[in-house]
Amino acid sequence: MTRGRRGGLARARIRRIRVWAAVALLAAACRPLGGEPPPGELRINLGTEPPSLDWALATDGTSFLLLEQLMRGLTRMGPDLRPQPALAERWEVSDDGLVWTFHLRRDVVWSDGVPLEAEQFVRGWRRLLSPQTAAEYAYFLYPVKNARAFNAGEIDDPSAVGVRARDRHTLEVELEAPLVYFPSLTTFMVTFPGRLDLVERYGVDWTEPEHFETLGAFVLEEWRHEYKIVLRANPKYYGPPPSLERVTGYMVDMDSTALVLFEQGLIDIVRLPALEIRRFRGRPEYRTLPLLRGYYYGFNTKLPPFDDVRVRRALAHAIDRREFPKVLQGGELPSGSWLPPGMPHHNAAIGLPFDPERARALLAEAGVDASTLPPVRIVYNTDQTHKLVAESVQAQWRENLGLAVELENREWKVFLKELVSRPPPIYRLGWGADFPDPDNFMNLFTSSSANNHTGWSDARYDRLVAEASRELDPARRQVLYDRAQRILCEEEVPIIPFFVTSLNLAVAPRVHGFEPNAMDIYFLDSVSVR
Amino acid sequence: MSAGGWAGALLVAGLVALALAGDDVSGYRFDAQDTEHALEGPSAAHWMGADALGRDLFARVAEGGRVSLLVAIGSTAVAMLIGIVYGAVSGYVGGRLDGWMMRAVDAVYSLPDVLVIVLLTEVFHGVLDAVPDLYRRLLALVLALGLVGWVSVARLVRGLILQAREEAWVEAARAVGVRGPRMLLRHILPNVSGPILVTATLRVPSAILAESIVSFIGLGIQPPFSSWGVLASDGFAAMRSYPHLILFPGLAILVSLFALHLLGESLRERLDPRQRS
Amino acid sequence: MIRYTAARLLQAIPVLLVVATVTFALLRLLPGGPFDREKALPPVILANIEARYHLDEPVARQYARYLAGLVRGDFGPSYKYPGRDVADILRDSFPVSIQLGAAALVLAMLLGVGAGLAAGMRAGTLQDRAIIGLTLLGISVPSFVLGAALVLGVALRFGWPPAGLWESPAYALLPALTLAAFPTAYIAQLTRTSVIEVAGRDFVRTARAKGVSEARVRWVHVLRNALLAVVTYFGPLLAMLLTGSFVVEQIFAIPGMGRFFVTAVTNRDYPLVMGVTLVYAALIVLSNLAVDLVYGWLDPRIRLAGDES
Repeated sequence: MTRGRRGGLARARIRRIRVWAAVALLAAACRPLGGEPPPGELRINLGTEPPSLDWALATDGTSFLLLEQLMRGLTRMGPDLRPQPALAERWEVSDDGLVWTFHLRRDVVWSDGVPLEAEQFVRGWRRLLSPQTAAEYAYFLYPVKNARAFNAGEIDDPSAVGVRARDRHTLEVELEAPLVYFPSLTTFMVTFPGRLDLVERYGVDWTEPEHFETLGAFVLEEWRHEYKIVLRANPKYYGPPPSLERVTGYMVDMDSTALVLFEQGLIDIVRLPALEIRRFRGRPEYRTLPLLRGYYYGFNTKLPPFDDVRVRRALAHAIDRREFPKVLQGGELPSGSWLPPGMPHHNAAIGLPFDPERARALLAEAGVDASTLPPVRIVYNTDQTHKLVAESVQAQWRENLGLAVELENREWKVFLKELVSRPPPIYRLGWGADFPDPDNFMNLFTSSSANNHTGWSDARYDRLVAEASRELDPARRQVLYDRAQRILCEEEVPIIPFFVTSLNLAVAPRVHGFEPNAMDIYFLDSVSVR
Repeated sequence: MSAGGWAGALLVAGLVALALAGDDVSGYRFDAQDTEHALEGPSAAHWMGADALGRDLFARVAEGGRVSLLVAIGSTAVAMLIGIVYGAVSGYVGGRLDGWMMRAVDAVYSLPDVLVIVLLTEVFHGVLDAVPDLYRRLLALVLALGLVGWVSVARLVRGLILQAREEAWVEAARAVGVRGPRMLLRHILPNVSGPILVTATLRVPSAILAESIVSFIGLGIQPPFSSWGVLASDGFAAMRSYPHLILFPGLAILVSLFALHLLGESLRERLDPRQRS
Repeated sequence: MIRYTAARLLQAIPVLLVVATVTFALLRLLPGGPFDREKALPPVILANIEARYHLDEPVARQYARYLAGLVRGDFGPSYKYPGRDVADILRDSFPVSIQLGAAALVLAMLLGVGAGLAAGMRAGTLQDRAIIGLTLLGISVPSFVLGAALVLGVALRFGWPPAGLWESPAYALLPALTLAAFPTAYIAQLTRTSVIEVAGRDFVRTARAKGVSEARVRWVHVLRNALLAVVTYFGPLLAMLLTGSFVVEQIFAIPGMGRFFVTAVTNRDYPLVMGVTLVYAALIVLSNLAVDLVYGWLDPRIRLAGDES
């Protein structure tokens, strides 16, 4: 009995070893299977599902990334982030700066063979602005004459909006006021031409692969919602044909999972989680670049003691911005000026430097005794990065000023509601460029901006920003923005700019011609794979 | 109690002691930052290593345990309280009321747990305006977990009471004039307290697990507090480069659940007559 | 039988109505609205959007509108994904969740019943204790820890199987294993208890005494009764799988319903949250019904109430 049992055990052990050997063999055999990438196909991680590919309704980065591959506008962002001709081969502006005329290319057809016409812009823009469409980004076209009034329902006649097709290939746009960066606006997806025939025929389903017609370098082949989107090269594209046959964008929302898939050879381009960057530093797969994305703390300037500008300046002087990249490890670029590096008219000399002496002096001057002051409240939305920043600020103000700081976090939606209804004494926010013009950043803190939660308003600042948006001469524009930035970041300090966020990517060696840029736009028509 | 039960009890006691005394044992405050040693693996100085800000992971696991255990025990108390009252009334009164009350339990039972916990947590968080911000989320989670857990307790208690009502000693008590709430509170409930205690013990680990799941997906405990689920979630994001960040919080959950189950099962063998074989 | 089934299905309607009402009420109590954005919307545009989704109507009206839609099988539009109905989203994601759940269930049944039999037949031995220990471990390990361990220890070490996505059956391996751990342990415990109980019963002893072979006694009687025990707990088992699927779908980037729920709550996508909750609730109600029917079939001693024939 005992002997037999033992024999059985031994046999069982041998069997188990065999099983494991088989499993290991299987794993080894399958390894190249997992690592053999499909030729001509680039696989990227989109992170999230694009809420909509209808470019009039889209608002987010993922939609923007995909539409850049699928569509073209009047103008297109070049690698230097300046607008270049796209569907419009040239344009001119009237002497008063009010009327822009765009001359369209004559060789452009949509993927179903329908030729491009100026009328498609007119209808697309009217649809964007129609109150029934309820497009969130309709305000992008508010500079166009009567656009705001039509969108608000104050005017019922869509033909009153200042956009006209002078002939099949000439588009005329009339503005409310001169705007120098209008060709930058027309790189943005909401201004793309519309195929209302498709929208009317298929309703909300017109963006599904079987109905979706586009005119960019790629067309939509497959869309498995919340999972992946597949793009195929567009044979009817008017430009040089892309080298890639196919682009698959997966929607893996956990960066750590995406990274494992990258290491398994299943995805070619992924964003690196902050804590994994150190391991990739120095490796050829690692790409990093500062983005046009600013991170700042705002004051509620109506609440004491922050109604005193000296207190605000003191707090700004008490921040050592070099701490942030150390804590976050994401290649953050400290910046004391609000216009981020990489943005035209950025000026690195602007901003209050780290100077604890000066900070203490300013507090004393304001008659504030940090030791008797009730704790200062910082409110941020729940997120690991924001928490780390807040903890670092808390430690710095405690050390440099002896200030007691309380941290409070809110869930995102609650935080947004609070910013509008009763802005916290100090809050964190970020801003990413929609288009690379300084006005997109500077406009944020004008009195009429819906995104200005500081309670601060300054007629001088408003005037400078408005004037700069009309100024054609770059040198004079620089002077205007410098002046406005000094008011914002040095004199009045309703906000403290902290740093600029960086892009951190891992790109597989098989990918060639991929150049990341500060807007985080992927130009996949010039990418190839081994 | 069996050897396993003693082992479980001992482990549980150890964990509670650790959670209460974590800072003192490790010699680090859980929020003390030391960027010099950030992300270091386990060493003699930092037994479980350090996190991105150089905080001692052992102290953080102990601190997280305090929150995890507090939420689990608190929510178990809520679940037991509601479940016992509801089940006792339903079982003791019986008749049509019993039928309706059990129908309601069935409806609640068909709600998916995690969904309801997530929803309730958000709702309580919004509704409990009077509670200081700092503790609002904690309380919201305790209530949400409790409100999901009471159903099975109610069913159990009702069953026990229905059973007890048929027994001879209840008949005897009734014969000498004991009636109503007095009968329920003084005679029946004390006699069925064994199985109820077992259920309470076994609810604690499932509450710990549920809390960790909800926190892992980012909808549970929020900073400045952290729990084992929060720590594991943070660690998951960096698991490739720094596996110790998920290993130790994960182990903490595993060991505590294991210990509580050991204890609960062995209590069940001792206290629950239906299970005795 | 048919009448019983019909009666139970009718009873499910008020249950689902309660679920719908409770969820609807909870959602309206949530702070923050679906259209609060970082880049604030001009009030005109916000008004346009709210009018389009009828959010400007009184809540009672919205509730009536929603229920009326449900009766027609219309779950309403999703706020987060303009152009997509909740019904579309559920149609795409539900089958994925079911496939994952079924794979995990099969794994759990095979492993769990096997382990339970192995333990129960040799109750009290070292083998039994080892299995008991393993089942306790299985019940105690959170899915995200097991998932991380499988990814680090298997997927990255061997380069296979895939640590995420949903392309071919191989992609289901790791998530199904992760999801199966808890139910496997649970089924093993149930099976073991039932085996021990049945082995001591009279009819098994009688069968043995009558000279029915040991193997037959084991397989026919013991297995049948063990399965009965497992089937009884099918409802809670299913609930376990659903609970686990939230995290597993998240970790392994699987396009199932669980992922939608988490994002829908943070986005305040009311109709989507409602849709997912209702589908899960219906699943639980239906599976409870199925359990009762199967139970009656496996164990003829139980007569179904209302079953006259």
